[in-house]
Parts: sequence; C-alpha cells; structure tokens
Amino acid sequence: MLKGFQDIATSLSNRFVDQWKREGKQVVGFTCSYVPEEIISAAGLLPFRMRGIGATSTSIADTYFGPVICSFPKCILQLAGEGAYDFLDGVILTPGCDSIRRLDECWRKAVEDSRGTFPGFHVYYGVPHKVTQYSLEWFVEETKILLESIEEYFGITVASEDLRDAIRVFNRSRTLLKRLEELRSREHVPITGADATAVIISANAMPRDLYNRILEDLIDELDQSKDGIHGRKRLLLSGSANDDIDLVRLIESSGGMVVADTLCFGSRSYSDLAEEDGDPLLSIAKRYLSHTMCPRMFGYYKQRLAFMKERIQQANVQGVILQNIRFCDMHGSENSLFERDLEAMGIPCLRIEREYGPLVEEGRIKMRIDAFMEGLNAG
Amino acid sequence: MRKEYREYHFDRMVQSIIHFASLSYDGTHKEGFGMFRYAPRFRDAIQTILMTGEPGVLLLKMIDTYLIEILTAHENGKKVALCTFNFSPGVLKPLDVVPICLEPVTTLGVAMWLRGLGEYLNYCCEVGFTETSCSAQRGALGAYLAGLGVRPDFVLCNSIGVCDTNATAFNFAAEYLELPFYQLNAPPTLVDERARTYHRHDFRGLISFVEEQTGKNLDCDLLREVIVETDKQDEIMCEIEDLMRLTPSPVPGIFNLFMYSAKYIYGGSRVATEIMESMLKVSKHNAAQGRAGTTSGKEEARAFSVYVDHYSAQLRPWAWFDEKNISHLGCMMNGFWPVHAPYATGDLKEGTYTMDPTNEETMLDSLADQMSRMPMVKQIRGPYDDPHQWLTDTVASIKTYKPTFCLYTGTIGCRNTWGSIKILARDTEKMGIPTLILFGDAFDHRITSWESMRDRIDEFLTVRRILE
Repeated sequence: MLKGFQDIATSLSNRFVDQWKREGKQVVGFTCSYVPEEIISAAGLLPFRMRGIGATSTSIADTYFGPVICSFPKCILQLAGEGAYDFLDGVILTPGCDSIRRLDECWRKAVEDSRGTFPGFHVYYGVPHKVTQYSLEWFVEETKILLESIEEYFGITVASEDLRDAIRVFNRSRTLLKRLEELRSREHVPITGADATAVIISANAMPRDLYNRILEDLIDELDQSKDGIHGRKRLLLSGSANDDIDLVRLIESSGGMVVADTLCFGSRSYSDLAEEDGDPLLSIAKRYLSHTMCPRMFGYYKQRLAFMKERIQQANVQGVILQNIRFCDMHGSENSLFERDLEAMGIPCLRIEREYGPLVEEGRIKMRIDAFMEGLNAG
Repeated sequence: MRKEYREYHFDRMVQSIIHFASLSYDGTHKEGFGMFRYAPRFRDAIQTILMTGEPGVLLLKMIDTYLIEILTAHENGKKVALCTFNFSPGVLKPLDVVPICLEPVTTLGVAMWLRGLGEYLNYCCEVGFTETSCSAQRGALGAYLAGLGVRPDFVLCNSIGVCDTNATAFNFAAEYLELPFYQLNAPPTLVDERARTYHRHDFRGLISFVEEQTGKNLDCDLLREVIVETDKQDEIMCEIEDLMRLTPSPVPGIFNLFMYSAKYIYGGSRVATEIMESMLKVSKHNAAQGRAGTTSGKEEARAFSVYVDHYSAQLRPWAWFDEKNISHLGCMMNGFWPVHAPYATGDLKEGTYTMDPTNEETMLDSLADQMSRMPMVKQIRGPYDDPHQWLTDTVASIKTYKPTFCLYTGTIGCRNTWGSIKILARDTEKMGIPTLILFGDAFDHRITSWESMRDRIDEFLTVRRILE
C-alpha cells in the first residue's frame, strides 16, 4: 500500500490518473490548498493539485519568469512547457502567493512558444486574504462563479446533493488523515514522516473515494502494527510548500523522525471539516477561507502559532524545522517569528532556506540538519 | 547594526538634513549653492531638487514639515500610524493621526545619504526578514524595528492582495513591535460591483479600526476639506500630465517624483497643492516658450518607467536624464487614475475615481475608490493583462505620453513585476517601444551601482539608436 502512495508522490501523473483519462473523464488542476476540491469533484472531474516534481531544469520557466521568483511555480511552468501537464483539461489558478499567481500569465505566454498546452478551461479564482463577513460573502460568490463556469464549460449540472456528497467524501478523508496524524503522535511511530507525506500528497492526485478506501485499510494496518520507530528525535516540519518526500527522507536520514507538520501539502490540507448540513456552497466557502491558515492570510500569525503549538504538544515534538523556498518572503519572515517564540518556550528550531526540485542543494541542507540533530541529541 | 548607527535617531537625522537643505534657498543664490561644498554627502540629491527652483524648495519644506509632524506627534497628543506608500494619507487627517509613510521615508534615506540605508536594510534581516524581501520597506523599517525612530501606535497596510512582500513587511512589523494591524485587501478585479462593494466595506472597517485606536471619531468637516483639496490636487496633476503629452515635454522629469511624493505624504492637504501649483506654473512657462523641461530646454528622447523610479544614488538618475536631454515622463507610481487623467480614455474611464463631497457616505466611498486605485494597488492585483491592470495601464501611458523608450527597474523583492516583466516588455516591444529591463534595486545601490545601470541605459540608447 505504501509503495503505491510513494509512487504517486514521486511522479507527476500516476496510474489512477491514467485510468481516469482512459475512461474518458476529465482532470482539473489547481495550485493552492485554498481551491475547494469538492466543487471539482462534484462535477465528476478529478481535482489534481499541481506540483513541480520531476522537473530537471527551469530553462523554459526562466524565459518567462524573472530571476527572483520562487522555484516551485517555475518547476510547474517548466513541466507545463514541456507538455507534462497536457493531461489537464482545466486549471484553477489563485493568488495563493505572488509567485504562484504569476504562473497565470507566464503559462499562457509560454505555450505560445513551447510544446506544452494551456488547458481550455481556466479560472483565476480570487481568494480573499482576510476572514470577515464581507470577505466570506465575496468568496461564496466567487465559488458560485467557479461552479457555474465549470458547469458551462464541461456541460454538466451540479446539484446541491452532489456538492453535499462531495463534502462528505472530502470530510471523510480529513477525518482519516487526522487519524493518521494521531498514529504519528504515538511513542512508537508506525510510519515514517516521508511515507506519511506520500500518503497525504496522494489525496490530491487520485479519485478521492478510492483514496479513502485505501487509506482506511492503511490506517487499520498501522493501528494494529506492533512495531514502530522510537528513540529518535521527534520533529515538526513547517514552512513553504513541500511535496518532495525526499526532503523529508533527507531530514530523517540524519536520525530524526518527522512526526508532524504544518504544511499546505500536509496537515493544513486536511484540517477543519466543512459543515455537512445547510447551504453547501456556504459551507465549502467557510471551510476554505477560514481553515488553518497560510501566511497569505495576513494578520493571523498568532492563530498559526497556536496551531503549531497544538501540533507540537499533540505529537510530543522535540524540535522544529522551519524551511522556506528562496524568495518565499511570507514563510521566510514568519519563520523567524516562529523561531523567536518557540525557542522562548524551549523548543529548538532550525531555520533553513532551500530551493525546490531540481535546484535543491542536498549537501548543504544535510549538513545543517545534521548539525541541528547533533544539538538536539546533545541537549 | 553597527554601534554608531544606534546612537542616532533616524527620523531626526533625515529631518535635520531636509530642514537645513530647505533653508539654503532662503538666502542668496550664492549662499545656497555655496553651501553644497560643505555637504558632500547630500549635495547631489539636494542640488537636483533645488535646481528646479520654487517647486523643489516647497518640496523640501513640505518634507521638513511632515517629518516634524512625525517627530512631535506624540507630544501633540496624536497617534502615529505606520502606513504603506499607496495609502491616501488624507483619510488620516480627519482622524487626527500622523502617518509614517514607510516607503517615502526609505526613499528619503536612500536618496539623501551617500551610502544609502544598508545598515537598516541589513538590520531587518538580522531580526528575521528574508534577504530577498523588498528594500522599499526594509530601509526605514530597520530603524523603526531597532527603536531608532518614532514608535508607531498601529499599522495600516494597503497592499494585501497586491504585494505579498510588502504586506509581509508590515505584518512582520506589527508582530515584532506588538502593534495592532489593519489590512486593506484588494480583490483581483476592480471595476465590477462586487469589487467596489468589497473595497467600500473594507475601507469602512479601516475607519472603525482607526477610531478604535485613537478613541476619536472621524471629523466630517475635515473630511470634506480633504475631499475638496484632493479634487483640486488631482485637477492640477492632470493638467501637468496633459502638458507632458507635448513634444517637447515642458515638464521637468523630476516633477513626476515630486507629484507622487506630495500625494503619498500630503494627499488631500493644502501643502501638497501648493507644490503642484508651482510645478504647473513652471511647466506652463516652459510650454509657452516651446522649451522642454530639461535644463537645456531641449528634448532628444522621451523615457517612461513601467514600474518605479530608481531612488538610490542620490537622485543622480534624474540629473543624468536631464544632462542627456531625455524627458522623463514618470512611472507607474504616477498612475493615480483620477477621472480627468489624460491616460484615462474610453473604457479606461471605468477605472477612475471622483471626489464627491455631498455627504459622509459619498466622501467615504470616494476615498475607498481612490484607495483602491492607488499606484500598484490598481495595477498589480490580478493577471497582468486583465482590464485596468499593469499592461493596460502601461499601454495607456505609452499612448498618452509617446515615450521613445521604456525602462524597468524595480527591487529584488518584487515578485509580481519580476514575475511578468519579461512578457510585458515583449508586449511593449511589439508596440514598437524599445524596452530595457534593468537588474537593480531602486532602494539598495549595493545590488547594482547606479554607474553600472547608467552604462547599460547608455549602451541601450546607442544600440537601439534612440540617441544618435
């Protein structure tokens, strides 16, 4: 089972997507955890979170993006320019952060010169940066427009009941992933951080009901497992988007064990349930706007710190790795606040800046993690 | 930060330079210019400003007044707000709040000091900023974070949804200094009813927040004064911009910097109107004589900066343009979009604002509309080629002012413009406008020296046969 999840996490497409396409069904990509997958799924489409995994250069991306841009969207653009995302029938782009939102025009322009294509269906989905009554109203309306554009483009009608069903399916995933999180909090951890990351990432890359079934079996298996890893320093991984299980492996190769995270490809993607009763659009909008927040939501640092503290306590974390992709100022700057506040509470932190994908500097990162682990072990 | 930097109060240092510079013109010409040899560190910048005559003197006096207001705010019982540059300060006047407009204060430091604000920029990184964050905030903010400036009472940010790097700086400052924080959030669209309603709600939220912080209510009479004065300023500004369409442009290039500085610091106040009136007088005089706004009165090329100007290097870029007889036609920072703006034609009128003093509601709506159209807030909120955004506004400026070439210079922290400048430059080149992308930092000369940037521009002008 774990091997299946690892395969999904380490490649762009996978056998489930291939199968889906062979059945004549369509796939809609999205770039940020603020896009409500329920809307896509309720329309009978496969929501697929876009990643840069597998990019081996950024030559195409550098032609359109400037030099001081995060390498995550650059890797996505590179893959798109190479045609690796041609299986997408639609794409939803958001102002998740400034680098990722510039993917919109760069991708549109890149396909004029490269062999990749830009999906016929594309939406720029305006997610507000604050939680108020009027921002929620805006977001409900924006979500309604998204739904209507999907219905119109794909020639589908989505009933309220379809949306409610989707909410239930996605809530089920969230509940199961919470259960996985609890298992990782045990003293004897039944799954490595790298494998757990692979499991979580797979949620956004395969049909969700099928994912739930496999995940349920895995959780049962892990729950009954008598073995487990213990005696290693327990770590929490936080910061910029990370869908690279090799980064987690690298950390764990230094003797630690990642037992928790606050990443958008990790625990933030499944935190908070959507209400299953009432107006489904309102329920979806509420969940996505106010779910555990990315630093793109300015002015909510204290809530994010509280969330991290809760995760640290729950998983009995002994050290925190705060990473950011170079040019990610939101996570980079906030990481220093976390470092200040967590270390004041006696929780050791390591702050690292890295590149994404093909540009990652493994040796440098490993050396810093080794040094951090040495410090933790000595303490 | 080095020890010696910690011994001086930043605001006071900037204010004293500006104060004495502003006095220099009160004596004779010989006395004023004779003084410069005793001030080698500030000479280039001050001289470039004072060469313009009355408008430059008024500008320095305005900045002096502004800095004194900041320095004395607390003893005068006023609260101080740390604000983004693209935050119309007029709204704070009827709330009895003094704004520290962070980026203009950074600009003062980098423009006036020979070595720029390196120590303060670095200090932000020492306390946790990424070294890739925007220098426009990091400059002066380093001083405030180090406790070397007037301590603000709260933070007001008008760049959320527009620029993450900018917003991050203000958010960080609020957390680091433990200050209350209010954000104005721009949705990706501008002229539809949803966006308008969103902005107006958001703006009223801002008023409530400031009232809560100050314990004072909005003074409607003062608000009306601000609205009327803003309208007057906008009309004058539009007239100056209209004159810039002439060939040669009779408007000295640096007037664009004066215009947006006045708007950022004292938008809605009489003191800014006086500068604009003075600039209009000079420009009209030049126009009547058929002279360009350059010192020689000649125009050999016309430049438009698609984003910001280059502020470090003691304003030498403006002096260089002048020396080369290049009319500098402003940059995106001049794009305020009042209804009479010469670039706001046809469908673009939709993206403008008007000042309506009828009653409190119309006044608040007017200011909310103005705030949502401030430079950068308007252009960088969504895809670069959506209506009313960077590409359309750049094209509008090009069609209006007919530059012979365009320049891009920004900051290393600018994800948005660096994210789309290559494709924007491709568009402007397709329009037949040679466009040069400069890798430098408008507020940090350590990234690329002005001399190096100047040589690149010079080479570009030669290679593209703009200047024979």
